[in-house]
Amino acid sequence: MGAPKKSGGGGRVSVTEDSDELVRVPLQAILLADSFNTKFRPITLECPKVLLPLVNVPMINYTLTWLESAGVEDVFVFCCAHSKQVIDYLDKSGWLSQPNFSVTTIESHNSVSAGDALRLIYERNVIHGDFVLISGDTVSNMSLTQALAEHKERKKRDSNAVMTMVIKRSKTNPAIHQSRLGTDELFMAINPDTKQLLYYEERTDLSKGVMHLDKSFLADNPSLTLHHDKQDCYIDICSPEVLSLFTDNFDYQHLRRHFVKGLLVDDIMGYKIFVHEIHSNYASRIDNFRSYDTVSRDIIHRWTYPMVPDVMNYGNTATKLERQGMYRASEISQSQTAVIGPFTVLGFGTKIGNNTIISDSVIGKGCKIGSNVQIKGCYIWDHVTIEDGCKLNHAIVCNEVTLKSGAVLEPGVILSFKVVVGPEFVVPPYSYVSLLQQPVEEDSDEELEYADSTSVITSKVDKSDEEDASEVPEARISSVSELGMGGVGYIWQKCEGSQEEEWRHSVAPIPADKISEAMKTMEDDLELTHDGSILPPSGELIPDSNDSDEDNEDSRDDFFEREVEATFLRAVNENIQEDHLILEVNSLKLSCNKLTADCAGAVFYAMMKYAVDTPHSSLDGLMQNVKAVLSKWKKALTSYLTDIDEQIEIILKFEEICLESAKEFAPLFSKILLYMYTEDIIEEDAILSWEDEKRDADEADKVFVNKAQDLIQWLKVAEEEDE
Amino acid sequence: MPDVQALVNDFVNQLKKRKIEGSQATAKQTAEVLRSVISQQRVPHTNQAAALINAVRAVGEQLIAANPVELAVGNIVRRILHIIREEDLSLATAAMAGLGLSVASDDEDDMERSDQPILSAAAVAAAARSTLRPPSLQTLLEDMPDSAAVPHTSSSGGDSEGKSRSVDKGSRGRKLKHDVIEAVNELIQDISTCYEQIAEQAIEHIHQNEVILTLGSSKTVLEFLCAAKEKKRSFKVFVAEGAPRYQGHLLAKDLAARGLQTTVITDSAVFAMISRVNMVIVGAHAVMANGGVIAPVGLNMVALAAQRHAVPFVVLAGSHKLCPLYPHNPEVLLNELRSPSELLDFGEFSDCMDSASGAGSLHIVNPTFDYVPPKLVSLFITDTGGHNPSYMYRLIADYYSADDLVVKGRPTTGS
Amino acid sequence: MWWRSASFILDRQQNDAALRPDTSSTVTPPPPTESSSAMGLPTDHNPNISAYYQTRAAHHAVVTSDWLAQAQAAAAVAHDPPQSTSTADPDKPFSVIDVFNNWRRQPDLAEAVAAIRALAAVIRSSQASTMMQLEIELKKASDSLKAWDTTSISLTAGCDLFMRYVTRTSALEYEDFNSAKSRLIERAEKFGEISYKSRKIIAMLSQEFIFDGCTILVHGFSRVVFEVLKLAAQNKKLFRVFCTEGRPDRTGLRLSNELAKLDVPVKLVIDSAVAYTMDEVDMVFVGADGVVESGGIINMMGTYQIALVANSMNKPVYVAAESYKFARLYPLDQKDLAPALRPIDFGVPIPSKVEVERSARDYTPPQYLTLLFTDLGVLTPSVVSDELIQLYL
Repeated sequence: MGAPKKSGGGGRVSVTEDSDELVRVPLQAILLADSFNTKFRPITLECPKVLLPLVNVPMINYTLTWLESAGVEDVFVFCCAHSKQVIDYLDKSGWLSQPNFSVTTIESHNSVSAGDALRLIYERNVIHGDFVLISGDTVSNMSLTQALAEHKERKKRDSNAVMTMVIKRSKTNPAIHQSRLGTDELFMAINPDTKQLLYYEERTDLSKGVMHLDKSFLADNPSLTLHHDKQDCYIDICSPEVLSLFTDNFDYQHLRRHFVKGLLVDDIMGYKIFVHEIHSNYASRIDNFRSYDTVSRDIIHRWTYPMVPDVMNYGNTATKLERQGMYRASEISQSQTAVIGPFTVLGFGTKIGNNTIISDSVIGKGCKIGSNVQIKGCYIWDHVTIEDGCKLNHAIVCNEVTLKSGAVLEPGVILSFKVVVGPEFVVPPYSYVSLLQQPVEEDSDEELEYADSTSVITSKVDKSDEEDASEVPEARISSVSELGMGGVGYIWQKCEGSQEEEWRHSVAPIPADKISEAMKTMEDDLELTHDGSILPPSGELIPDSNDSDEDNEDSRDDFFEREVEATFLRAVNENIQEDHLILEVNSLKLSCNKLTADCAGAVFYAMMKYAVDTPHSSLDGLMQNVKAVLSKWKKALTSYLTDIDEQIEIILKFEEICLESAKEFAPLFSKILLYMYTEDIIEEDAILSWEDEKRDADEADKVFVNKAQDLIQWLKVAEEEDE
Repeated sequence: MPDVQALVNDFVNQLKKRKIEGSQATAKQTAEVLRSVISQQRVPHTNQAAALINAVRAVGEQLIAANPVELAVGNIVRRILHIIREEDLSLATAAMAGLGLSVASDDEDDMERSDQPILSAAAVAAAARSTLRPPSLQTLLEDMPDSAAVPHTSSSGGDSEGKSRSVDKGSRGRKLKHDVIEAVNELIQDISTCYEQIAEQAIEHIHQNEVILTLGSSKTVLEFLCAAKEKKRSFKVFVAEGAPRYQGHLLAKDLAARGLQTTVITDSAVFAMISRVNMVIVGAHAVMANGGVIAPVGLNMVALAAQRHAVPFVVLAGSHKLCPLYPHNPEVLLNELRSPSELLDFGEFSDCMDSASGAGSLHIVNPTFDYVPPKLVSLFITDTGGHNPSYMYRLIADYYSADDLVVKGRPTTGS
Repeated sequence: MWWRSASFILDRQQNDAALRPDTSSTVTPPPPTESSSAMGLPTDHNPNISAYYQTRAAHHAVVTSDWLAQAQAAAAVAHDPPQSTSTADPDKPFSVIDVFNNWRRQPDLAEAVAAIRALAAVIRSSQASTMMQLEIELKKASDSLKAWDTTSISLTAGCDLFMRYVTRTSALEYEDFNSAKSRLIERAEKFGEISYKSRKIIAMLSQEFIFDGCTILVHGFSRVVFEVLKLAAQNKKLFRVFCTEGRPDRTGLRLSNELAKLDVPVKLVIDSAVAYTMDEVDMVFVGADGVVESGGIINMMGTYQIALVANSMNKPVYVAAESYKFARLYPLDQKDLAPALRPIDFGVPIPSKVEVERSARDYTPPQYLTLLFTDLGVLTPSVVSDELIQLYL
């Protein structure tokens, strides 16, 4: 454990400055060799995503080659799913034994998210300076020097500038609201002068052309530019604090959805994220099948130079570039009558029969392609056998697949490893075929949902699938197949949710009717906005949005409370003045869109938590703690208790604490209540109306009212006496 | 020799990633790497030359494969192979001369005497010579030693004296290595001074009040023009900017800084300006054996414009750029297609490349080199002087051995 | 360089001396039907058809009806000479021409090789006891060979090459006459192998120039060019070939047949369609009967025309030729060659008043050639002249 800097703010400034000035820290990188999602299923059930061939070279090679050429000296490859395969590959391909480029693998079997991975790496305590955070499916040729220099410069001026995100301009398709990489439209607000990232929202909700910005957000940032034509390259230059932030916020899972957004809404800590835009260089992450297709094309079109097939030759098979973007490896035997169209890659030792037509495709090593085959826009991996007369259209065909003669693959088909398609069988569009059965329905649902929700998901699914893969039961092969005569494999059921959207992320081009449909709806939308309001059509600004769905609401509550608690703890530990504490909580309140009552509850909760956490031997001790805390931070609390509703909120909160998080308080309930009353934190009206509220509740809820009955009685008596 | 291997690997890596730019730098580094290969190579008692050649070949093959487009690598590898052969031969003939014979050899006679028969020594010398020459009509009928001839040569040289003095061999081996390294050092020296040697000739070619046109940027051209300027010639220079990398801008800046009257024009204005130009002077990426030039993209157009207006088209090239290969399909195989981002901004055009939604299929081609056929070149100026394109093969025959043309195994000729 | 200096002038004198008393007497007894040696043209065959052409026709197995008729007529007049001499008259004095003709019959053997073999036979049967005597004998034999068919360039070139070798190497390096003699014979025997090998070398050298998807225009039938294309097909290169018809002996038809057997896509074009098809063509490949000192080539009629068309359309013209075809000739124009005549069948009777151009070859100047593939390597035309000058200067 990184003992020296456990508390978020502690010694971080001194650490970086020292290392910057005194020792030259080699540039480090963390490469996540796991995407932590299921978008590449069913292929990723058998092979890790980073080893999938991208233009005949496993993806991770692009990332590692880039890291090496960008001057990174020390890479930690975090392997999770199929970690063994990844490590074996790295060893075999010689990456682990480079002279000036050290690659270290970190293996984990229970990480389910990028957050977990980073927490684990933090525990290992291997990162000593600024580092590049990247996932193993990123293709880039950018130069890091400028971005790195900017990052360091900012860091020197402002120790809160913890991260620089690399972005690139890339227009999105206005009709279907997705980028050419198949990712959702991304909205970013950037301060044009400082390049600070102020707002980051991936729009998954496609129904409305509406975007919500907070009023105060606009007020706080006098100049900001809103972009929806930027693409997030998923290359981040991070300061070491990022790791500790992940550790501090144990519920951060997703790099963007949680971490980036978390930092952006967090006004207390003041951490800032900046962007670095690249223009002439290339960077893209392969997130789904659509981006697999797009990035492959970009590579063939040489945007990623020098990471192109004829320059980057792994192994000893040189590839030559011929006219019109035809890449050919050696020892290809091609019939004289075969027609190979432009922008095609042919792998080593591939055989192509008579009258076969191949265009816009990538063919791997040692494939046997028969006669009269038509292949268009396909990605065919190694050792695939395609018999005579097959038609393949925009499909991905994994290693050692066999297509019997006359088989047809409709657009968007994915054939996983070793599948056999029977003769004359037509595989329907967008279907996934694998030797493995589809993971059980609820599992897969959960997993898919995970992509959109914040709830923590276990990786059991992945694990069990992995085991499945190793023991492919013989029975399956002999079973009567869904894939025609002699076919082997299962066609996966489509999930209801993605059914109509499957064209978005598939390798196949988007059908024209979908686009025209989308165009039409877009036009309708435009008309609507024109009619209905004077607001610009591009993005309607509605202040104070509160309509996010339930999930989000919950998470925000959680988040807010945790933040307040952390702030409070810091205040206690660092002896921050009450005024400052109040300020910070106030800003948190603003950023999270909370009422004063929420603040009161949260602060109170934080205090109680602190009291409980402070060592005590008995109930008396605990009482002493409570008294100490309350008396010390009374001002902080009372500043939120201006009216009776807020005081009631506190009592309710206290009730909740006693019931749930700290049962130790239960016996002390009335005592503490009394203490608060005597300390003028709570007025008697509040207590009485609380009792009033609870009168109609059922008995279970009345436990604490009953406990406080003495006090209430006494108050009532006192009141009467007063009168 | 792990350290040499590391050195080689490092260099291979740099070549692969296109980290080294410019043929001069590449040539120099190649020579340096090979020098350390030679100095680390353990020489056996017999066939020293063969051992060195094999070592250099093995490394050379890797280097060439790392960046087949950078011809300077192959050139240097071949030249060093040639140097080894030559040094070995001169040692052999020296030994022969030392045997007290009056064979037509011209070297030092510091070796010991022997009583070998005259004729066999002459035969050995002749055979040795024939290995250095390219195959020719003369050797067609002769009993040509096969292409692995050098081991044969040195061993036959060794045989002739071997029985009597085996002590001598060690010293000869050391001497061979020493000589080779000396020669390689000279080569490195030559490569680094080629600018000056070419620039020295500037005064003969550039005359008062002439107008010179060049395209892109070349250090050789810069030095050449500046040398003429220093000799108090006054002339004007038109610099075509050399899209897409616009290195002409840099050249113009440098020239102007040195007080030359410089005008920058667009590449497309070359034809319009060429009638006012007295001479076109450009640099090259490589010069092929037939006198064709692999040059920065755009130069073929300039050469055609120059030919149209009968303007001399002069190519400056250091001798490390002379390549013993013939261009076959030069537009494709000897070209490097670089990233299209040098031409267009990706972001601006990204919607035209969204093939998925069928929005368009914009293709961009960005070749680095042009092939200028020999008939468009008026004159080559190398560090050894000016040459006609049809004479280039001769220079090449001086610098390279025919056996090394293909660094990988070559089919044997002769019996 | 020592071999360049002395002997050339000497050679010339010997040459002149040897030439004068030659043809009708001494060492090589005249071929059976020899009578009118003054003409310098052999008379054992139809004077309208050059021996060169006969060989070609025989080797390339293209027989026109016209030629057949004439050949039969010729056969009726004089029996086929070499056969008759070698078999029927064993005790007849040795004739270098007979031996040559014998070798010449072998379909795969080049003419130059036959010439060298014939000269080797001269050495073998020679009674000479000194190098000088042997050289004189050889000179005479080679001169008579050359005189026998002045139209064959490779015959001349082969003789010259061997003579050059004899005068240069033998005398200097071997003081022992007998060992020199046996060495010469051995080398001459090996020469056939060399010529066979050189085709392989040429084929290998030219492989790099044949890129996938290219279209190659070839003219006539050349063994070397065929070897090149065969190897390319074996190497799984993807290319297509346009064969000219090669009128009048239609050698192109044979080439297209052979290529079709190798599964190479091939298209026949008539000779006059060369310009029409040239824009589809990526390169022109031709063989050569002889490569001359200027670096130009002498080849089957029509080559010049194709080279002109190719040059005007900026297509490369590649020549595949073995180095023993390098000849000491410097033709200044087309008429500067000994014409090799051939019969032409127009299908209809031609009035006697109409003159017919019957030359079988033309001369292509070097500026229309891009590169020559020879067993000495890939050469530009100017290198060829350099080689020739080096050898014979």
